[in-house]
Amino acid sequence: MRRRLMTAVALVPLVAALGACTNNKKGDDEPAVDTNRQATGAIASDPKDSMGPAPEVPGAAKGGTVTILRQSKISHLDPQRTYSFAGLNASQLFVRRLTNFKDDGKGHVTLVGDLATTPGTDVNKDCKVWQFTIKDGVKFEDGSPITAKDVAYGIARSFDLSLTGGPTYIQEWLADTPQFDTKFDFKNNKSSLPPGLSVPDDKTLKLTFNKAHCDLPFAASLPATAPVPAAKDTGTQYDQKPVASGPYKITKNEAGTQITFERNTAWDPATDAVRHQYPDSFVWQFGADPVTQTNRILADSGADQGAASWDGVDPSLISKVMGDPALKDRIIQEPTPQHYTLTINNQRVTDLKVRQALNYAIDRDGLIKTLGGSSLAAPVTTLMPPSTIGWKNYDAYPAGKTGDPAKAKELLGGTTKDLVLGFQDDATNQALSTQLKGNLEKAGFKITLKAIPADSFLDETKKKDNPWDMYIGSWGADWPSGAAILPVLYDGRAIKADGSNNGASYLNAPALNAEFDRVLAMPTDQQGAEWAKLDEKIMREYAPVVPLYVQVTTTVHGSKAGGLFIDSIFGNLAFSNAYVKQ
Amino acid sequence: MGFFLLRRVLLGALTLFAVSIVTFAMFFALPRDPATAMCPKNCDAQRLERVRAELGLNDPKPKQYLRYMSGVFVGRENCPAPCLGYSYVNNEPVSQTIGRVVPVTLSIVIPASVLWLALGIGLGMLSALRRGTVFDRLAIGFSLSGASMQLYFVGGVLLLVFVYTFKVLPYPHYTPLLDDPLAWCTALVLPWCTLAFLFSAVYARLSRAQMLETMSEDFVRTAMAKGLRQRTVVRRHVLRAAITPLVTAAGLDVGTALGGTVITETTFGFRGLGRTAIDAVRDGDLPTIMGTVLLASAFIVVANIVVDALYTTIDPRIRLR
Amino acid sequence: MSSTPLDAAEAPAAMSTRSPGRAAWLRLRRDRTALASGIVSAFLVVVALAAPLIGVAYGIHPQDTFQEDLDRFGLPYGVAGGVTGTHWFGLEPGQGRDLFIQMVYGMRTSLGIAFAAALMTTMVGVLLGIVAGYLGGWVDAVINWVTDVTLALPFLIFTLAVIRPIELHFYGPREAVPGSFRVIVLITVFTAFGWTTTARLVRGQVLSLREREFVEAARASGARLGRVLFRELLPNLGAPILVAFSLSIPAYITGEAALSFLGIGMLEPTPDFGRTIFRSLNYLQTDPAYVLFPGVTIFVLVLAFNLFGDALRDALDPKSLR
Repeated sequence: MRRRLMTAVALVPLVAALGACTNNKKGDDEPAVDTNRQATGAIASDPKDSMGPAPEVPGAAKGGTVTILRQSKISHLDPQRTYSFAGLNASQLFVRRLTNFKDDGKGHVTLVGDLATTPGTDVNKDCKVWQFTIKDGVKFEDGSPITAKDVAYGIARSFDLSLTGGPTYIQEWLADTPQFDTKFDFKNNKSSLPPGLSVPDDKTLKLTFNKAHCDLPFAASLPATAPVPAAKDTGTQYDQKPVASGPYKITKNEAGTQITFERNTAWDPATDAVRHQYPDSFVWQFGADPVTQTNRILADSGADQGAASWDGVDPSLISKVMGDPALKDRIIQEPTPQHYTLTINNQRVTDLKVRQALNYAIDRDGLIKTLGGSSLAAPVTTLMPPSTIGWKNYDAYPAGKTGDPAKAKELLGGTTKDLVLGFQDDATNQALSTQLKGNLEKAGFKITLKAIPADSFLDETKKKDNPWDMYIGSWGADWPSGAAILPVLYDGRAIKADGSNNGASYLNAPALNAEFDRVLAMPTDQQGAEWAKLDEKIMREYAPVVPLYVQVTTTVHGSKAGGLFIDSIFGNLAFSNAYVKQ
Repeated sequence: MGFFLLRRVLLGALTLFAVSIVTFAMFFALPRDPATAMCPKNCDAQRLERVRAELGLNDPKPKQYLRYMSGVFVGRENCPAPCLGYSYVNNEPVSQTIGRVVPVTLSIVIPASVLWLALGIGLGMLSALRRGTVFDRLAIGFSLSGASMQLYFVGGVLLLVFVYTFKVLPYPHYTPLLDDPLAWCTALVLPWCTLAFLFSAVYARLSRAQMLETMSEDFVRTAMAKGLRQRTVVRRHVLRAAITPLVTAAGLDVGTALGGTVITETTFGFRGLGRTAIDAVRDGDLPTIMGTVLLASAFIVVANIVVDALYTTIDPRIRLR
Repeated sequence: MSSTPLDAAEAPAAMSTRSPGRAAWLRLRRDRTALASGIVSAFLVVVALAAPLIGVAYGIHPQDTFQEDLDRFGLPYGVAGGVTGTHWFGLEPGQGRDLFIQMVYGMRTSLGIAFAAALMTTMVGVLLGIVAGYLGGWVDAVINWVTDVTLALPFLIFTLAVIRPIELHFYGPREAVPGSFRVIVLITVFTAFGWTTTARLVRGQVLSLREREFVEAARASGARLGRVLFRELLPNLGAPILVAFSLSIPAYITGEAALSFLGIGMLEPTPDFGRTIFRSLNYLQTDPAYVLFPGVTIFVLVLAFNLFGDALRDALDPKSLR
C-alpha cells in the first residue's frame, strides 16, 4: 500500500518543481500601454499617392512562409461575404478593392485608390454621385485585365440573399432602403446592374445615390468592392476559391483546418501603393486555442519561427511574455479601436440617474484585472475609442480607478435598484459578468445574471424587445471616423424591430438625432472635432452606456517573422509588409 | 452463424434509425437558427425570412427528416448516395467534411487502442499471475494513478514538457499517413501516449480483477490439481474465460472512441470527428450533426456486432440464441 | 458458536455461521488501504457537506474578491499564488477569489452531482437489469435494444445541444437560472446515458441466479413476481451493485470535470472543480500553485474513492481473496 501511494504522491514534487515557490513581489509596475496617441486620417487626392510600388520595408527579404494561427476558421473567403476581422485582413492578401488604407500601424492612415486611380471623385460636389477610374495594369490571377465591369459585377452579386454575410452599406445606399434585395433581383438579372450603378466604359465606374453619402470612399475600402469575373462566379461555392486580384492566390483550401496562399504572378507591384509580395506563401492554420498559439510561438521551433498569433497572447501567459526580456522584439502591442461598453437598454432603464449611478459605480481596474491586465485592455470613459480621428479625452462621471460606490448610492437615493445583466455564456464573459455583479452590488444595485447562448447573443440583444437591462457590448468602427460610430450606435431613428440594431442601447433622443444629421452634412475634414464634442454631450446628457475599455492587442510572432503590424482600423494583424527573415 | 449475423445487422440498422430520429428531433428543439449564421452584422427580420426560405427551412419537420434520410440512401441532386447533406456553415457537402476528418480520428484511435489494450490487458494479467509481488504493486499503483487522472490534465502536462519546454517533439500537427509516415507518427505520439496511459490503467484494473476471478473458478483448480503447469492452464483455459468481458468493454470503448475523442482532439489541436461534431452543434449545423452522429453510432453498432461474433469463437460456453 | 468472531484464523468453522455482510465488514476493517481510503473519502464528504460552516469559520465567502492583491497582469502577489495565513491556498488569478473556499464549495458541487448521478444510475440500471434478466423473452429483447440505442447515442453532443434549451424553457428571460437547476440537468443527463453499464451487469447476474434453487423454490411457493424480484434476487445482487455504485462515483467526478472542459459544466458563479482545473491548466507556467492545489485535490479525491471501491469489491467477493 505504501508503494501505491508513493507512486501517486511522486507526481506532486514534479508539479511543485515547476516553480510554485517563486515570489511575485509587489513592486513598481511599469506603465501601461499608451492608448491616448492621436490618430490621424486623410484622403489622398493626388493620384501619385495611389500609385505603386509601395515603399520597400527595411530589412525585408524575399522568400519563406508566414503562418498565421487562429482559433476559429475564417467563415467566408468570398469577398462580398466577408465581414469578420480575420476575413477582412486575410482578404488583403488575395483581393483588391476600389480604395485601400495606407497604414503606419501607429494610428495614421491615408485613404488611397487601390484598383481606382484616386479614392473617388465627387462629381457634383454633393456626395451623391461618385466616379472611379480603374487603373491600367490590374489583372486577375489568370492574367485577364480587371475592368469596371468586374467591380460592378461584384457589387451586383452582393444583392443576392444567398450570398449574405458582408457589409451592406453600398447596397443600401444604392437602393436607398435597407431591403435592398427587393429593389434588384440578382439571380434573374445577372447581366444587368442594380439601380444607381453604371459602367459608362471599361475603365469608369459610377455610383449615383439618392441621398448624400460623403463616406463612400471609406465604404469602398471594404472588400465588397472586390472584382469578380462573371464567368467564374460559382455562387455559394465561390467561397472555396475566389479568383485573386491581390499579391497572393488561394492554392489549397482545407475548410476549417488550413488555407494556403501562394504568390500571384499576375499582380503588378507598380499598380499597388500599399502591398508587398515578400514571402513565397502564407498559411492560415485554424483550431489552436490562444494558449496553444502562445506556447507554440514561444517555443519557436521549425515552421513556427515564421508564425504569428492572430488571437493574441492568452491572459494566462501574459506575465510570462511581458516578463521575458528575450521576447521584447517578438511582441507586437498596440491599442485597438475595439471599444467595449456596459450597454444599458435605454427602453427599460429610463431613469437618467440610474444610468449615471452605474457610471459612477463601475470598477474599471478590477474589470481589467479579470480580463488579464493592462496588456490586454485599457480603461476608457468616452464613447469613441482614442484611435478615432479628432478624439478628445473626458470623464463625465469620475469614478476613480476602482469606482465610487458612495456617489452611486447617493444618486440612487438610498434605494436598491434591481437590474438584469444578460451575458454570453463563454468562459471570459462568465468571469466578466460575475466581476460586474460583485462590483455593482457594492454600490446599491441588485444584479441578476442571465446566461445567453454565445452564438445567439448578438441576435437576441439586437431585438428591440429584448428582456434584459444591461449587456456587454462592443463596437469596432469600419473606418476611424465618428461617423461610423456615434450615429450608427445612438441614432434612435435606426431602431427596428430586430436585426440591425447596432449597439443595442435603444437610445432615441430627437434632439440628438438632429445633431447627427447636422454633423454628417459637414465636410469630412471638419467632422472630427464635432464628433468629439458630440461624444461628450451624449454622455453628459443621456449616459446611454457605461464605457468600459478598449482592447489592447498584445501578440507574439516567431523569431523569423518580420514586418507584421497591428492595423489602425480594426486592431488586428496586418500582412501587407510581412516578410520572413532569411 | 450467417443467420446470427443477419439478425444482428438488422437490429443494428434499426438502432441506427432510432438514433437518426432522436438526433433529428433533439436538434429541432434548439433555438439556434441556421439562417442567422449567414447574417451576422446587418440582418433584419424580413431578410432573414427570405434567407430561411432559400434554405428550405420552412418545410414541416417530418418532411425535412424524410428528405434528409432519402438523401442518405438514394442521394440528391449534385449529391450521390450516401448523401449526408450540405453544410451552409462549412460551405461543402457533409460527406466531404467527414471524409477529411475521419482519417484524423482513425489515426488517433486505432494505434492508441492497440497500445492500451496490449499494455492494459498484458499488465493486468501479468499482475494477476504475480499477485502480491512488487510488480503487482507497481502495476496497481500505475493503474490507479492513471484511472484517477484527467485526460486534459495529462495531455496539457505532456505538451508542456515535451513540446514547449524541452522541444523533444514538434507541435502535433496532423499529416496524413501516406504523405509522410514519420511526420504522421511524431505528431500523434503524444495523443497516443496520453490515451494509452489513461485507458490502459482502466484495462489493467479490469483484466486483473477478471483474471483473479477466473483463476479462482473450480475448473482452474481442477486443472491445477491434475498437475498442469500454471502457464499451460492460463494459456489453455483461463485466458479464454477471462477475456469475454474485456472484449465487450474493449469493443464498446473503441467503438465510442472512433466516434470522436473530443477531449484528446481539443487538447492537442486535431480536427477529428469529435471536434467537428461539437463545432457543428455550436453552429447549429444540422446536416453535419446528423452526418457525424450517424457515423459515430455506426461505429459503435458495428463494434458491438463484431464483439458478439467474437464471443462465440472465444467462449464456447456461450450459446447463441 | 464462537464468542470472539474477530479472530477468524482461530476458529475456521466459525466463519460459516457469520453472515456474508459481517464477514465482508471484517475483511474491510483489516485491509489498511481500505481503511485509509475510506477515511479520506469520508473526510472529503464531510468537508463537502459542511462547506457553509467551513466558510463561516474561515471568514471568507466564495464570491469575495481581493483584487488589490493582484498585480497588473491579474496574478496574485506573494509566494505560491498568494498563500498567506488568511488565504490558505492563495488567490485565483483574474477575479482574485480565495482558492481554498472555492475548492471546498467546488467539492460540494462535484460530490453532490457524482453521488446523485451514481445513485440514480444504479437505481435505474438495477430495475431494468432485473426485469430484463428475470423476465427474458421479448421484454429482455426490447430492453436490450433500448440499451444498444442509448449506447449508440453520443453523450457529449446531446448534452451540449440540450443544456441551454432546457434552461431557456424552464426559466424566463429575466430570471437567473440557479446553480441547482443545472445540477439537476447534469444529473439527469448522466442518468439518461449511464444506466446501461449497471443494467447489463445486473442482467448478467440475474441470468445466472434465476436458475438457482432458491428462486425456483420461491416461484413454486406461489410468490408474486415483485416478491421474487425484490425479496429474493435483489439481496443477492447487493455486492456487485454496491461495488458498481462506489466505483461510478469517481467516474462521475471525472465526467463532470470533462463537461467543464467543453464549457457545459457548471456556470459561474457556482464554484466547480472541473471549471477551476480546466482554467488553471492555462496558468501552468505562470501560476503553478493555481494548478497544484485543485489538481492534487481532485486526484486525491478520485484516488480515494477508487481505492475504497476496489477494497470494497475485494472484501465483498470472497473468491478474490486467496
